[in-house]
Amino acid sequence: MSRPPFDSRIPLCQLAAGATGRVCALTGDAHFCQRVREMGFGESAYVTKVSGSTTILCQVNGTRIALSHAAASSILVEQLGNLGPQKG
Amino acid sequence: MALPPHVSTGPSAAPARQPVYALVGNPNCGKSTLFNALTGLKQKVGNYPGVTVEKKIGTTYSQHGQPITVIDLPGTYSLAARSPDEAVTRDVLLGRRADTAQPDRILCIVDATNLERNLYLVHQILDLGRPVILVVNMMDLAAQAGLTLRLARLEHELGLPVIACEAVHGRGLIELKLAMSRPDLPLSRHAWDVPAAIAPAVAELQASLTSNDRKSPLIARAEALLLLTDQDALRVAGSTPLCPRTVEILESWKKRWAAEGTDWAGTLVASRYEAIGHLATAVIQTSGTAGPTTSDRIDAVVTHQLWGWLVLGGVMTLLFLSIFTLAETPMNWIDDQAAALSTWVKHAMADGDLRDLITAGVIGGVGGVVKFLPQILILYFFIGLLENTGYMARAAFIMDRLMSRVGLNGKSFIPLLSSYACAIPGIMATRTIEEPKDRLVTILVAPLMSCSARLPVYLLMIAALVPGDRVPLATKVVIMILMYALGTFGAFGFAWLFKRTLLRGAPPLMIMELPPYRLPRLRDVALHMIERAWIFLRRAGTVILGISIVLWFLSAYPKAPAGVTDQQQLAQSFAGRAGHALEPIIKPLGFDWQIGIGLISSFAAREVFVSTMGVVFNAEAKDDDTTPLRQAMLNAKWPDGRSLFTPLTCFSLMIYYVFAMQCMSTIAVVKRETNGWEWPVFQTFYMTGTAWILSFIVFQAGRALGF
Repeated sequence: MSRPPFDSRIPLCQLAAGATGRVCALTGDAHFCQRVREMGFGESAYVTKVSGSTTILCQVNGTRIALSHAAASSILVEQLGNLGPQKG
Repeated sequence: MALPPHVSTGPSAAPARQPVYALVGNPNCGKSTLFNALTGLKQKVGNYPGVTVEKKIGTTYSQHGQPITVIDLPGTYSLAARSPDEAVTRDVLLGRRADTAQPDRILCIVDATNLERNLYLVHQILDLGRPVILVVNMMDLAAQAGLTLRLARLEHELGLPVIACEAVHGRGLIELKLAMSRPDLPLSRHAWDVPAAIAPAVAELQASLTSNDRKSPLIARAEALLLLTDQDALRVAGSTPLCPRTVEILESWKKRWAAEGTDWAGTLVASRYEAIGHLATAVIQTSGTAGPTTSDRIDAVVTHQLWGWLVLGGVMTLLFLSIFTLAETPMNWIDDQAAALSTWVKHAMADGDLRDLITAGVIGGVGGVVKFLPQILILYFFIGLLENTGYMARAAFIMDRLMSRVGLNGKSFIPLLSSYACAIPGIMATRTIEEPKDRLVTILVAPLMSCSARLPVYLLMIAALVPGDRVPLATKVVIMILMYALGTFGAFGFAWLFKRTLLRGAPPLMIMELPPYRLPRLRDVALHMIERAWIFLRRAGTVILGISIVLWFLSAYPKAPAGVTDQQQLAQSFAGRAGHALEPIIKPLGFDWQIGIGLISSFAAREVFVSTMGVVFNAEAKDDDTTPLRQAMLNAKWPDGRSLFTPLTCFSLMIYYVFAMQCMSTIAVVKRETNGWEWPVFQTFYMTGTAWILSFIVFQAGRALGF
């Protein structure tokens, strides 16, 4: 996977509602990263943000997932716009 | 496909004893529904010793009528456990729990609409080398979402029985039972290559776990992979510490990888997902992209910034209104039956201590508690319905915004909501909270939520507080809401305080799946209600019966000389003496020794206060048995002639009950949950201390203001 330029990576909490991004890095707590990956939310997964600013609601592989703000800010995504591939 | 060295093709030996199946799967994949469909009422709910994780065991029957044991294990995404209930799943599957035999076979249930993620856990379970049956549930929802699953291909690839199922409609159960009845099940043929960088470490750890930790080779391989998947080896090892040699090997590999910059845990997950990805490509066919689903459309409203709160508020209002209105008729009926039984006993038996024990002690005490069963059933009906439809996760999502302000996350909402019924299931529900500090804070504040056992105390106090027989319902409701609000704000306030002082921690990293909305399955809700009602009745029949008898004895003995009044008898009884001893401490709150007896007896369980007041004041009511308790209480006076139950005293008493830790069962559960006496003792002191201080302030300030 080619690493995107640093400035295109934003935390999931900053992704606009309705926009799709690809997860490029997980930062922070190791246990949390592990669980996020195990839930299929790891690097290269596509995520669509549904709504939320304090608590984030997003869609990954057709599943709705809620994340606390702190959790969402440790997931870095590369924004793909509204036309990204979606399942479900 | 080549077979890995740890898997043999031979059929597993048919177990001579009753076969034991473990049922495992991700949360929200329909596991409980399948368990209920398989076992029906043949379920036993207990606890895994040492943790308050519920142990559900049921019996189903093979096609030949042979009994089969099914253990319902807590839902998990991975065997690398992050919370106590997930640890139970891991430990039972690995055969680490002494209290539960290692299951012979594993029933893996997966959600057809999200096969890829669900297969991750299956993939880990296949490493255990046990015969597995794969149940692909929610086939109907997958079809609706435009997914076609080639299950024959999946069966071929994995080499194990794959059953298509719609547990909600009972479809696929016959096929499943047929598969479960097979005397031999093949072992999985699915192999995956451990990444080259990790493989030598797995082999070395496996060898050490086999020779030094005396694990069987298959389990040793699964354990080795787990040790490397979870960053915290000690957590994986659980209660049985690993041999130092194994730890040494693990540490040396970790050091080596850290120096090389290898992310071993991430690599393992990625490699499993790669294998699953190949499988998914072969099995799943997507026909076009489906538009927004019904769930998405409902979520647009229910999780909306504004509408979400309104819906949640509406649901909560409906819940509490139902508890107060619908339960009234059955409660009065139970009351009447208890009174009728009591009258019958009085006529049938000769006057004496035994008759008093049965009428005042047993029937009065237990009846006064059992009448809350309708309210408890309604509360569990709602909780069951909210969980069954998928709304509970949305409520947790909405509440997360509020909870995050006090340092907790939305996952604490379900335990706190359950605590409105009873703190015990509430505390048990904290097992899904991963962060130990957040879990502890939730446990510490959960009993502040006004549980149903406080309801009788509030109702009695409100009846005594608002004079007149025809009290407007609105006044009662407002006072009631005030008490519930006080407890709720108290819980939030203390959570905020604890998160900033004693249990300081990073902001919670919450990740929670919101399952698709489903029509509630009333059978599951009903089973849940029956289970809870039974636990409640068992408690009423044991603990509360015992307390009622002891209390009656304490208030009836030692006997005063013949001819004294009932009040003098009570004053010199054991209970009276204890109440008198307590009076100096509680007098500043407006309570006398008779209320003191109630406080002491209801330390066992709050609702006992009402039955105690019944015993205490009926004793004063001379021959007039029909005097309602409320009237008897209103007639009660201090020795100087002042009324005892002034509105201010009633208020002070209610505030005392909002905050005081008056429940031995809760203390016992907290002790078990926190593995020691330290936290339950702290909790009892902080809660009862707050109760005393607030009641003191209210009573003294009220008096100063002339109330």
